[in-house]
Amino acid sequence: MKTLPTLDLSRRRFVAGAVGGSFVMGLGLALPGCSSKEATEALVSPKPDAKFAPSLWYEISGTGDTHIFITKAEMGQHVGTALARIVAEELGAEWSQVRITHVDSHPKWGAMVTGGSWSVHTSFKALSQAGAAGRQLLAAAGAAHLGVPAEACTVANGRVSAGGQSVSFGTLVSLGLPGAELSAEALDALPLKAPAERTLLGRPVAALDIPEKSRGEARYGLDATLPGMVYAVPLLPPTRYGSILTRLEDGDATTIPGFLQTLRIEDPSDTIQGWGLVIAESLPAAWKAAEQVRAEWTPGPTADVDEAALLAEGARLADDPAEGVRVVDHGGIDRVLAQAPRRLTAHYRTASALHFTLEPQNALAHFDETGHCHIHGGNQWQSLILPVLSKALGLQEADITLHQYALGGGYGRRLFGDQMIPAALAARALGRPVKLVFNRDQDSRFDCVRSPSVCRFDAALGPKGEVLGIDHGVAAGWPTLSMAPGFLAPGLNDSGRYDSFSISGADHWYSLPAHRVRAINNPLAQKTFLPGWLRAVGPGWIGWGVESFMDELAHAEGVDPLAFRLARLDGAGPNGGDGPANEGGALRLKAVLETVRERSGWGRALPKGSGLGVAVAHGQERGMPTWTACVAEVAVAEGAVSVKKLWQVIDVGTVIDPDGARAQAEGAMLWGLSLALHEGTAFEKGQVRDRNLDHYTPLRMKDVPELDIHFAESTAFPSGLGEPPLIAVAPAIGNAIFAATGQRVRDLPIRLS
Amino acid sequence: MTQFILNGNPVVSASPDDTPLLWVLRDELDLKGAKFGCGIAQCGACTVHLDGVPTRACVLPVSAASGRAVTTIEGLATDAGEALKAAWVSEQVPQCGYCQSGQIMAAAALLEANPAPTEGEIVEAMNGNLCRCMAYGRIKAAIQVAAGEGEAQR
Repeated sequence: MKTLPTLDLSRRRFVAGAVGGSFVMGLGLALPGCSSKEATEALVSPKPDAKFAPSLWYEISGTGDTHIFITKAEMGQHVGTALARIVAEELGAEWSQVRITHVDSHPKWGAMVTGGSWSVHTSFKALSQAGAAGRQLLAAAGAAHLGVPAEACTVANGRVSAGGQSVSFGTLVSLGLPGAELSAEALDALPLKAPAERTLLGRPVAALDIPEKSRGEARYGLDATLPGMVYAVPLLPPTRYGSILTRLEDGDATTIPGFLQTLRIEDPSDTIQGWGLVIAESLPAAWKAAEQVRAEWTPGPTADVDEAALLAEGARLADDPAEGVRVVDHGGIDRVLAQAPRRLTAHYRTASALHFTLEPQNALAHFDETGHCHIHGGNQWQSLILPVLSKALGLQEADITLHQYALGGGYGRRLFGDQMIPAALAARALGRPVKLVFNRDQDSRFDCVRSPSVCRFDAALGPKGEVLGIDHGVAAGWPTLSMAPGFLAPGLNDSGRYDSFSISGADHWYSLPAHRVRAINNPLAQKTFLPGWLRAVGPGWIGWGVESFMDELAHAEGVDPLAFRLARLDGAGPNGGDGPANEGGALRLKAVLETVRERSGWGRALPKGSGLGVAVAHGQERGMPTWTACVAEVAVAEGAVSVKKLWQVIDVGTVIDPDGARAQAEGAMLWGLSLALHEGTAFEKGQVRDRNLDHYTPLRMKDVPELDIHFAESTAFPSGLGEPPLIAVAPAIGNAIFAATGQRVRDLPIRLS
Repeated sequence: MTQFILNGNPVVSASPDDTPLLWVLRDELDLKGAKFGCGIAQCGACTVHLDGVPTRACVLPVSAASGRAVTTIEGLATDAGEALKAAWVSEQVPQCGYCQSGQIMAAAALLEANPAPTEGEIVEAMNGNLCRCMAYGRIKAAIQVAAGEGEAQR
């Protein structure tokens, strides 16, 4: 159902060979008929037509330094540290000699994407095997060097040892290692360490990216410079789509020192519609000049759309049981609803929300003397924007290189690199490097907004209020439809194609007698703005509805909401899991829920106006769930909600970097709190209303409650952490407000009136 | 032309008087540590010290720095500054890291003025610095660690 960007495992091959003074090892895809010689050559000097595509690569130098190339974006998750630990664990490398490099977008790396909380999950097996393959090779060479059988050798801390003697990786590389190659079958047969044998995974480690970030030395896209570059600031149209720039004149901008010119952007990819640019020798000059140029537009067709219209359209569609692609459909819900003695219906809604990466979108573009296009900036999904740039510039993808930098916040915004397009078009038009920078207002206006959403629930209840079935319609703008339609998934019974990222979470792990989930695109949202993948994506808004409505159902039946959930997490049928990634299924969710019940003291008496609320989540997808249960304690006084404490118990499977995992959980939980109480905007006249911190108000230090975070001990296959701990926070808070006041809140952000 | 002292050394800026100091630092003098976030003095990513006082460089005209001492993260070499940078590592504070120069500059000014702040005083002093990754708990903890080290030395 889901399309994770994993390797076609049957075509994997491991290749190793000497290059210069280093020994290089790679794992990648081999095309049919690819010879060993061709694969090794491709590893050393890849060509676009090579039959071997190494997607993972590391090398060991003659000094024993192990250099691991990271294709994932660093945006705060310390991903390079986690991925390098996995390789180093199986390789037996000396951790203090491990180095990482975040690579550019050279085609040799294959598909490049950092999102979906996928990085560890989708890389774990391949990285482990690549490390183990290297260990086997070094063990064989070390054994020969020491004159002992390979079975007698141990490999650890960058040395091959046997019977009191040892040799370092560096020495073995200096002496010359033979090339090697392993098939997919041989890779699968490699012995991997049992969890108890591990010396790095799950142990404390200092993140490799933190020292430079603690001295102001990390380099972000906005910090990139090139000799001779000029600055560009956009003149943005009144709507994302369909506005026509009818007038663009320099006006009094010519009086601004440093002003160079205006430029109209014509984008053959049609991504950038109706933009002008102001070009100047400095950013302040460009901004000043932008206030003086005369720019006018014929607005696009959505110039009058507001938030209420978007939500009304979502509700209209969600209310119609005929609407939507069927994602879950069992138990004959229409019949169950028609025959039910009682029904309970509710709408849950979320308002537009912004990524608000603290580093605004920017790009530095440059064409070299061969006509190759270089773009400097931070990006999460190189493989998504390269084809768009290719179309916009009329270049082959291989003639465009994206140079990666640290990301000053990603959260899904930098999955799309739309700002690269006008920068590159301008660089070509002007014949010099162009650095394009959004100001904050523009970054918000042309964010890939988290779509306003509507969840509509219609539950059939039995005579005692017991749940007989639920129909759930979810309407929102779909990021995948606009940006990556190839990733749309087929629904049940030819009911159409849908954005799985905008419905995940509705396909939950509770056993219900009848259940239907309808994934509905909101076409008005789709044409008004570019819907984005915002941290936690669909589960971020769907979990709000599902877990709040579960509370309503528990109260309808007169059952404790935590006990109500436990009773339905029985792991029956498909809810028992169907593979290593979701092994154990709902029973693991039940276990974290039981643990959070104990840690939070669920059921204890609280003062009037205070309450506890519970929610669970299983982001990001059924195919790779991270099991979380959250309890919130809130106090409500005079309409103001104060979150006193949040508990969360997390089962992510194997934890790679314990402190990094905790940091991701801390950040994600506070994001959940921020989206619940502090953030949110609205469309007004076709654009988002709140564009800077004077009106858009993410959580600050004074708003941080006490956090109790507990990771379940597990050796199960690792899942992901960047997003899942966000999901259950808002519904736990909403349910706590109900417990404290009896008032049910159904809109995010929560506003008590 | 504006003359000021930058990280202990006299410098001259040729930018127009109303140019925000941030862009003089970043693009004219090539010190990239101070960051651009909101442009309206509300996020704190651009925080530098002006005669020791934490100041939002995104809204300060360079002319206002004339004849004064400007310190950026690159030049922060006080005992408190060094203790903070070390604590930022020991407490594993940064996530994306983009706001952290500003956070450290704000924290350094706090510890200069108040070497042993209470938790409430830390929150009061740091609340204006947005961390979009929301690493607030660790920022607070690192300031407490750095303050504790200063305390131990006294």
